[in-house]
Amino acid sequence: MTKVELLNNHTHRDLKVQAGAAARYGDNQRFVAVIAGEFPHLAVHYPILLTKDQDTGAFFIGAMLGFDEGENLFLDQRGMETYRPLNLQRGPFFTAGNEVAIDLDSPRIDDAGKPLFTESGEPTQYLQSIMALFRDLKPGLEVTKNFVETLSRLKLIEAIDIDLAFDDGTKRRLDGLYTINQDVLRGLPDANVIDLFRRGYLQLIYLMMASLKQVPVLARRKNDALLKATSLLSV
Amino acid sequence: MIHSVQNIVIVGGGTAGWLTAGVIAARHQGRIQAGTFTVTLIESPNVPIIGVGEGTWPTLRTTLEKMGVSETELFRHCDAAFKQGARFARWTTGAEDDGYYHPLMLPQGFTQVNLVPHWLEDEKGRTFCDAVTPQGALCDDGLAPKTITTPEYQAVANYAYHLDAGKFAPFIQKHCTMKLGVRHVLADVQTVNRAENGDIKSLTTEQAGEIAGDLFVDCTGFRSLLLGQALGVGFKDCNDVLFCDTAMAMQVPYESADAAMASHTISTAHSAGWTWDIGLPTRRGIGYVYSSRHISDERAEEELRRYIGPQAKGLTPRKIPIRSGHRQTFWKNNCVAVGLASGFLEPLESSAIVLVELAAKLIAEQMPANREVMDVVAARFNDVNHYRWGRIIDFLKLHYVLTKRPEKFWQDNTDPATVPDRLKNLLHLWKYQPPWFFDEFDRIEEVFPAASYQYVLYGMGFRTEVMPGDTSGTRSAAATYMNENVAMTRKLRTQLPKNRELVKKIHEYGLQTI
Repeated sequence: MTKVELLNNHTHRDLKVQAGAAARYGDNQRFVAVIAGEFPHLAVHYPILLTKDQDTGAFFIGAMLGFDEGENLFLDQRGMETYRPLNLQRGPFFTAGNEVAIDLDSPRIDDAGKPLFTESGEPTQYLQSIMALFRDLKPGLEVTKNFVETLSRLKLIEAIDIDLAFDDGTKRRLDGLYTINQDVLRGLPDANVIDLFRRGYLQLIYLMMASLKQVPVLARRKNDALLKATSLLSV
Repeated sequence: MIHSVQNIVIVGGGTAGWLTAGVIAARHQGRIQAGTFTVTLIESPNVPIIGVGEGTWPTLRTTLEKMGVSETELFRHCDAAFKQGARFARWTTGAEDDGYYHPLMLPQGFTQVNLVPHWLEDEKGRTFCDAVTPQGALCDDGLAPKTITTPEYQAVANYAYHLDAGKFAPFIQKHCTMKLGVRHVLADVQTVNRAENGDIKSLTTEQAGEIAGDLFVDCTGFRSLLLGQALGVGFKDCNDVLFCDTAMAMQVPYESADAAMASHTISTAHSAGWTWDIGLPTRRGIGYVYSSRHISDERAEEELRRYIGPQAKGLTPRKIPIRSGHRQTFWKNNCVAVGLASGFLEPLESSAIVLVELAAKLIAEQMPANREVMDVVAARFNDVNHYRWGRIIDFLKLHYVLTKRPEKFWQDNTDPATVPDRLKNLLHLWKYQPPWFFDEFDRIEEVFPAASYQYVLYGMGFRTEVMPGDTSGTRSAAATYMNENVAMTRKLRTQLPKNRELVKKIHEYGLQTI
């Protein structure tokens, strides 16, 4: 259940929020929606792929953090050491128009967490960082949506099948994931290529392509985790 | 001098005309763009379109995809919904709970093992349909055959469409003229001008003068202006086999905008024929197809109204005469008939549009390069089409011959003198071996595969004798497929959305192309 309210320094004056990454706070996601501005940070750690919204069928872009439901392979007891996508960083906060809203039912709301307002009712540094995050995230969503629509219109999206076999004998078959169709990209007319370049999309496309190299890296991470689990069992 | 075939003239602007134009223009797009091939469609500004057929076959998906039509747009502009087959209610005994499905999915493992004898040996209380495919259960639940994330034209469960034929023709027309370079001429044909060899040389029109062509496609509906009237090709009636000669149709509103919408055609037997019941998003199309020799129009209307119930109040039925049969030849000289101009059969298995698609495809794929080779193609076309029409007539008749209903209409239908020989022989054979691959269903583009015969036969209680020991070799494979079917049925029932819900979503968000 969610109970979302617009944030104000009156009702929510004493509210404290756990900002760190932990499974119990909802960071255990295998696929997190991301925005174009994050691509350079993401591409060095995670595959950046497209998938479809289950409710609308529309494509969106996300970072792949794991293979199984609720699996974030970059999350451990200390949190997430690698880049933490904005959609995880934002915690229980949302935007509503130009204002910040908060989900009061979020498990992150916890007296041991960080305060949102100072004694005098000013936003704390933490809340300021959240407000700054939304200044990136909000327009970023629009930019990313336009980018995805352009990819779709130019038929630059293709399905990618990821089949993996791990050393513990288990297999994973991931479907419903999509990437850049490089054949179509190579065959694009010059005018489209220039347009993609001018709009900064070409760089995003190449970052997505390069990030595919993170799939085997991620698989190795998963393999290590599985082997660790089996060796622990056999001890 | 070799007379090349470069200019195709289609007469008639209904579903048949525009689909044929689209299929030919899409297939020969390269030549059209190079300026060496034209497709012209002449449509009378004065003749209303009949718009037969609100039910289609899964082939339409491929046909439209090849033409470059967006499936999302089809749903938005043609009042389309999903169709996963048909349920035949009260055809066997007439009892309240009497009914079976003819789904569009093949039985599990159809290419590997024939499940019929295995099911016959141990039915385990399941109908044949439920034992071999999930689709009957999906229809029972009113589910869509895919989800919003399934790409255009792809299926989770095989499907066709229910659509508004009156909206479909203009929709295809727009695509043909805007995207495929089909020339559209609004004019009435006055004279068909012939050459010495009997070919059609040109058409003189009232509004657009003379229009010449190398190949003429007659899509003028029942009139068959070119092939029937000008070239004098006769009509072969088949009312000695299929008795229905009249349809009475109504467009029935739903009780509410959110009312459940069936994802299959409901075909219900009555005293002297049957009703179709087709769920479109905005209304149900319902009609009674009957034999006027067995029931009066008044009684028929009463039965139709009784079937519809209170929703029929205040609605006036439209009466449509049906003449079941086809042209004696389909392609003569340089003229070929497609659609109603080539023939019509009662819409029991939605064969009208699929026949248009298949004919158009054959013309497009086998487009004769020149007049000299046209007769070879024409002979082939005629051979294939005689076969197809014959097979469809057999298959439609199959629905009638196994009935136990007492009314005269039904009993007359079981008279062996009215059953085509090929069907009679097959029914004899099938007493001892169930239909499968090695039956004569071996044509590449068979309209109704052996699976369709299986669904109807065993749905209607037909029984084939299975010899003891005959199934032991394939028993474990059959068990695997039947178990897979149970698992798949369970999975799909939880995954798939309701038919109306998905159609709504397609209107709102659209389907992706990949």
